[in-house]
Amino acid sequence: MSWELQPADEASSPKPGGSSFDEFIRRNLMMAKLEDMVAWGRKNSIWPFNFGLSCCYVEMATAFTARHDIARFGAEVIRATPRQADMIVIAGTVFRKMAPVVKLLYDQLLEPKWVISMGSCANSGGMYDIYSVVQGVDKFLPVDVYVSGCPPRPEALLQGLILLQESIGRERRPLSWLINDQGIIQKQERPVQRKIRQAERIAATELRSPDDV
Amino acid sequence: MQVAEDSVQTNSQGTSPLQQLRRDFGERILAEQTTCDGIPTLWIDRRHLKELLRALRDDCNPRFEMLFDITAIDERLRTHREGQPASEFTVVYHLMSFSGNTDFRVKVPLQDSALALPTMIELWPSANWYERETWDMFGIHFDGHPNLIRIVLPPTWEGHALRKEHPARATEMEPFSLDDEQQDIEQEALKFNPEDWGMQRQSETSEFMFLNLGPNHPSVHGAFRIALQLDGEVIVDAVPDIGYHHRGAEKMAERQTWHTYIPYTDRIDYLGGVMNNMPYVLAVEMMAGIEVPERVKVIRVMLSEMFRICSHLLFYGTFAQDVGQMSPLFYMFVERERMFNIIESICGARMHPGWFRIGGVAQDLPNGWEKRIKELLDFMPARLDEYDSMVMNNGILKRRTQGIGVYNTAEAFNWGITGAGLRATGYEWDFRKQRPYSGYENFEFDVPIAVNGDCYDRCAIRIEEMRQSLRIIKQCLDNMPSGHYKSDHPLTTPPRKEKTMQDIETLINHFLSVSWGPVIPPNEVTVSIEATKGINSYYLVSDGSSTSYRTRIRTPSFAHLQMIPEMSRGFMVADLIAIIASIDFVMADVDR
Repeated sequence: MSWELQPADEASSPKPGGSSFDEFIRRNLMMAKLEDMVAWGRKNSIWPFNFGLSCCYVEMATAFTARHDIARFGAEVIRATPRQADMIVIAGTVFRKMAPVVKLLYDQLLEPKWVISMGSCANSGGMYDIYSVVQGVDKFLPVDVYVSGCPPRPEALLQGLILLQESIGRERRPLSWLINDQGIIQKQERPVQRKIRQAERIAATELRSPDDV
Repeated sequence: MQVAEDSVQTNSQGTSPLQQLRRDFGERILAEQTTCDGIPTLWIDRRHLKELLRALRDDCNPRFEMLFDITAIDERLRTHREGQPASEFTVVYHLMSFSGNTDFRVKVPLQDSALALPTMIELWPSANWYERETWDMFGIHFDGHPNLIRIVLPPTWEGHALRKEHPARATEMEPFSLDDEQQDIEQEALKFNPEDWGMQRQSETSEFMFLNLGPNHPSVHGAFRIALQLDGEVIVDAVPDIGYHHRGAEKMAERQTWHTYIPYTDRIDYLGGVMNNMPYVLAVEMMAGIEVPERVKVIRVMLSEMFRICSHLLFYGTFAQDVGQMSPLFYMFVERERMFNIIESICGARMHPGWFRIGGVAQDLPNGWEKRIKELLDFMPARLDEYDSMVMNNGILKRRTQGIGVYNTAEAFNWGITGAGLRATGYEWDFRKQRPYSGYENFEFDVPIAVNGDCYDRCAIRIEEMRQSLRIIKQCLDNMPSGHYKSDHPLTTPPRKEKTMQDIETLINHFLSVSWGPVIPPNEVTVSIEATKGINSYYLVSDGSSTSYRTRIRTPSFAHLQMIPEMSRGFMVADLIAIIASIDFVMADVDR
């Protein structure tokens, strides 16, 4: 399946070398397999559950607002009930007292559902190795994307969201009880970003001095 | 006016509360303790406690109107207790007099075999939650308390977390797991049972409905839960349930060094950023005897006021959103973002810079900071005016918030309400004015007050406070002193680098203070500041080591939430949302 966006004011002049009829067809018809279409739709219409635990939630809320605008990624339909949402961001510290509540809410999300663990506390307990804190939400929930930071910047959450979307887009799930096999057919490998970006990051030679604004 | 009269009387009579109590209680006073903050501290046996506290509340001149805090110290491992009565667990009562602008501390020694003392709910209703917390954390029993059950830790918890024998780290305990069976047990334990709270299930005319709001609800601002007893839409009673955000910050202080604890303070009131560092570093500096340079004071004030604006903006936006206005929040977050850009260019981080240090700040202001601050002063006032017309002049918002959640000054004292919640009742009290710290006495600013004490007024005060904060920031910009960003004192952490290269003595000191952390002399101190949400206070006990022996963080929101049932009885559920929004709390500031 291939598609692209074009500014509306660009008139329908064909690309050099192409015929106008082919171009017209290309712009008005899209050919795709049904499961690809479904995956594409799923990827671009994630409905997050309005759920926050602590400081990270403030940065998550910042990602919803004007400067960062999560709507650019099709994930702005924030639902107040888990029954209508398909993604939960564990934004903040997971407390021992709160864990059974988080579990209940996760169980109430409708399949297919995804989990983003946002911030050091949710990832591993972070700086709170303390009696009242669960050392990472993955002790009782399956996590799809880990976003690092304390708290992560809104941009980091958006990057995590994009990674999740890419992975959802590649995932193939059964279309109905009747068509094809049940269960997730293609479970995606989720590589560690640190490994992928290591070369690019280490190549930086000029670091800005903190002495100037 | 009350303030002036009372203070005149004190002067003319010439007897301080301490002298008065010495005269009236004589032999019954076990000991007097001096602490470096100068707060009079008396030890008394539990049999005479109530009488003493009643005398402080009613008979002393000045009167102590507010029970500021109740907490305890596990003394069993403490070495420096010179002149203090034998005690295994000490319960500490901190009282505040607003009319006399002074504090008082009362301590009760207890032995492990008999951990009980009478409840003080009769004198101050706010004692309720503080006593429950002390029971939860130390296992100290309060006789006559109506609901002495866990408040912070889960109902299924075993042990008392702030006792020295309780493990601090999660990794020292059995690894957490949550199978289906355990999930059922925990969920069952969280169930609200009206009979436990002495509630009827029906009245003569109607059957009550019990509604559970939270711990995850869009308008409770985090992990907070209220169980409501409803007659139709009208609230008969409410039971707030907290503890879903307990991060063990007080226990954490007992293992972090004085220096490495600073980042944890940032996350107490997580909207207040570096302003949280302020009472902590001031307290440590007071024990260490560090005087900071003028430049440090002004830098600290400037950053604190910027965070005050950030926090109030978030309050303002969510307040409007909770009563039904969607757009203001989006506008206000744009301003917040611009301010974070400036904060980041100075401190290197957005929400939790942890930028203050014992004896100074982390680094000097960057080149060109004046320009960024000037930009802030240029754009903010016009935006605030615009928001006034968008939010505060909106007829629906006015009708939703005026006359809702009203209380008066006396009630505020009874429940331990401070900050904008107190000033909205018409009582002019701001720590920055009454007991200036970090050089606030050098700044010109006004303390806004209101008259009605309702939701609308609490919001209006915070808006005016933002304007006053801008005034203070302007004065910081115009009068930034030159000088060093760190004190010259040897306990400054980390110490000034340039000196370490001069001789072996300072090099050794530098090495020790970086590897072990500074050793603070044994003492006790309470330092309070006017934080974003009310009075934030740190009570530190040093036993002469590189970590704190006991750190007590008295946060304003804890007290404020306890008053919710009082404020909301007889109102509708929708009004409760406006009341919650107007309190301006974050759960980290409640449960710590």
